[in-house]
Amino acid sequence: MSVEKQPKEALFAPKNMKLIFNPLNKENPITVQVLGICSALAVTVKLEPAVVMSISVLAVLAFANVIISLLRNTIAPRIRIIVQLVVIASLVILVDQILKAFAYEVSKQLSVFVGLIITNCILMGRLEAFAMGNKPWPSLLDGIGNALGYAWILIVVAFFRELFGSGTIWGFPVLEYTGLYHIGYKNNGLMILPPMALIIVGIIIWIQRYRNRELIENK
Amino acid sequence: MYSNKYIYIYSSVMVIIVAAVLSSAASLLKPVQEKNIRTEKMTDILHSVHLDADRSTAEDLYNKYIIREEAINAGGEVVCRFAGGQQELGNVRPFEINLKEEQHKQQMLLDGKEAEAPVFPLFICEKDGKEYFIIPLLGKGLWGPVWGHIALESDLRTVYGVVFGHKGETPGLGAEISTLPFQEQFDGKTLFDEAGHFTSIRVVKGGVQTLPPDQQNHGVDAISGGTITSNGVNDMIRDCLENYLEYIKKHLAS
Amino acid sequence: MEDIISIFIRSIFIDNMIFAYFLGMCSYLAVSKTVKTSVGLGIAVIFVLGITVPVDYLLNEYLLSAGALRWLGPGFAEVDLSFLSFIMFIAVIASMVQLVEMVIEKFSPALYNSLGIFLPLIAVNCAILGGSLFMQEREYANIGQATSFGLGSGVGWFLAIVGIAAIREKIRYSDIPAPLRGLGITFIITGLMGIAFMSFMGIKL
Repeated sequence: MSVEKQPKEALFAPKNMKLIFNPLNKENPITVQVLGICSALAVTVKLEPAVVMSISVLAVLAFANVIISLLRNTIAPRIRIIVQLVVIASLVILVDQILKAFAYEVSKQLSVFVGLIITNCILMGRLEAFAMGNKPWPSLLDGIGNALGYAWILIVVAFFRELFGSGTIWGFPVLEYTGLYHIGYKNNGLMILPPMALIIVGIIIWIQRYRNRELIENK
Repeated sequence: MYSNKYIYIYSSVMVIIVAAVLSSAASLLKPVQEKNIRTEKMTDILHSVHLDADRSTAEDLYNKYIIREEAINAGGEVVCRFAGGQQELGNVRPFEINLKEEQHKQQMLLDGKEAEAPVFPLFICEKDGKEYFIIPLLGKGLWGPVWGHIALESDLRTVYGVVFGHKGETPGLGAEISTLPFQEQFDGKTLFDEAGHFTSIRVVKGGVQTLPPDQQNHGVDAISGGTITSNGVNDMIRDCLENYLEYIKKHLAS
Repeated sequence: MEDIISIFIRSIFIDNMIFAYFLGMCSYLAVSKTVKTSVGLGIAVIFVLGITVPVDYLLNEYLLSAGALRWLGPGFAEVDLSFLSFIMFIAVIASMVQLVEMVIEKFSPALYNSLGIFLPLIAVNCAILGGSLFMQEREYANIGQATSFGLGSGVGWFLAIVGIAAIREKIRYSDIPAPLRGLGITFIITGLMGIAFMSFMGIKL
C-alpha cells in the first residue's frame, strides 16, 4: 500500500490509474465492499438528485482524503477518529450550505441525506484505510475513484427507477414520445417506492458477479 | 509519542480553524440562501394566481402583480399594509410575517397562556383588471409540514387557484399534493354554501362523487394512498381560512 | 399522550429506518449473519437512539435553531446556528456512545460483554445520525415526541436486523444462483421485506 518510499513516479502511472478504475468494478464500494449504501438508495427516485448527491460525495471524499493525507503525520492515533469526523462534517456542512445557496431546488429534495454523507461509511472507510497512510496525490485519485464507483451505481439505479417509475429521464417525458401509453402501458408505481431500489441493486450485483466470477461469495 | 499537551493544542487549533471556516462560509452564503427562500415564496404566490414565474422572473413579476400586502388581526381588521414599495400601516411588512410563529402565538392564546396577538398576512394581486386575494396556508402532513397558497376571486368565495408544497411526504403518494392534477381540482370550487356558511374545501377520501350533489362544489378528490397527507391538507385549508372569515365578512359588507 | 404512541408505532412499522430510508445499511448487512449478534447490535441501537435523539432535540431547541438562543436575552434572538447542527449532532453521538459504553462497563459488566463490541460501531451508523436529522426536519413539538421517535426508530431497526438475520440463517441451506449468493440475495430479500412492511401504511393513527 505504501507509496511513500518509492522514487518519484509519473502522475498518471498505471499504479495510480488503478486507484481510479478498480473501485469502478472489482473494488466497487457499494456492490463489493458494502459501504455507503445507507444514504445512497434513498435519493435514487429521480436522476437529478442522484447526480447531485454523487457530485457532493465526490467533492467531500476527494477533499477529505487530501486533507487527511496532508495531516496524516500530525494526527495522534488516539484522536484520529474525531479528527476524521470533524474534517468530514465540516466539508459536508460546506457542501450543504453551497447547495442551499446555488441549487436550492435539489437541496430541498435531498433534505437530510446531504447531512448523512457524514456517516457514509465510504468516507470513514477510505480515510482510515487509505488516506492515513498515503501521499496526497494517490489519496486524491483514490477518493475520486471510490466516489465514481459509488456514483455509477447510484445513477444506474436512479435511471431505471425514474424511467419505469415516472416515465421520464432527467424530467423529460421520454416514454410519452414513444407512444407506449397509447397501447396501454402504465408507469410502475412500485419503482418509486423504496424497496425497489434494494432489488435493483441486488440485480446489479447479480449481473456484476455473473460477469466477474471471482467476486462470488463462498457458501 | 504524542503528549497530552500536543493533543490539546492540536484539537484547539482544529476547532478554531473549523469554526472560522464554517461561520464565514455560513455568513457569506446566507444572503443568497435567504434570497432563494424569498424567491420561492414569491413564485408560490404567483403560481397560485396562475402566473408562470421562475426564479429569475419572480421578483419582477411579484412587484408588478401583487399590488398590496395586508395583515389582519383576529377581528378581521387590517393592521399592516404595504403597497407600492411603501409601508402604509403598521410596522411589519406582511410578506415578512412568519406564519409558523403566528400560529404558535394563536395556539398559546388558545391554551390560555400569554402571547402577543397573532396577525395573518394576505396578498392582493391585480391581474387583467381583476383582483385576487391570496392567503398563505401552513399545516401538518404525514412526515412534516405542508404549506401552500390559495387565491380567491374578488367575490372572496370562489377559489381561483392553489399551490401546495411539502417537506418530506412520500414520493408518489402524499407528495402528489404538489402536482398540477391535484391542485387543478381546486379551481372554481367555492368556500361558502348558498346560505353563506363557511364550508371550506374538503379533501374527500374516495372521491368527490361520494358527496351529496349540493356539496360537490366544496370538495376535491383525496390522493389514493396518501390519506394522512390529504387529511393534513384538508385541516390546513379549514384552519387557516377560518382566521380570515371576519375579514371576508367585513370586506364584502363594505 | 396519543401522539406519542402514534409516533412510536409509526416509526417502528411505517417509517422504518431500514425499509423506508435505508439507514444503517452498512452494519445491517455486515452484522446480520447470525441472530445472536444481530440481537446485540439491535439492542445497542435502540439504546443509543433513545438517548441521542432527545439530547439532540434539546440541543436543537435551545442552542442551534433560529431564535433558539432567545433564553440568553433579547439580543440573541436573531442568532441562527443551524449550520452547525451536523457537527454538533455527530459530536453528541460520538460522546454519548463513549459515555454509554463507560457507564455500562462500570455498572453491568455482563451487558457490556454482550453489547460492548457493538457500541463503537454505532457511532458511525447512519441510522443514529439519521434519527437526529429527521427529528430536526420533522419539527417534533416536545421532547416526549422526540424520545418516542428515537426509541421507535430503534425498535424498528432492531426488528429489521433480527428478521433478516433469521432469514439468512435459514437461507444458507437453499440453492441460490452463485452470483447472487450472499450480498445479492440479502438486498433482494430486504427489498421484499420492505414491500411487506409497506402494508402497514394502511394503519390509521
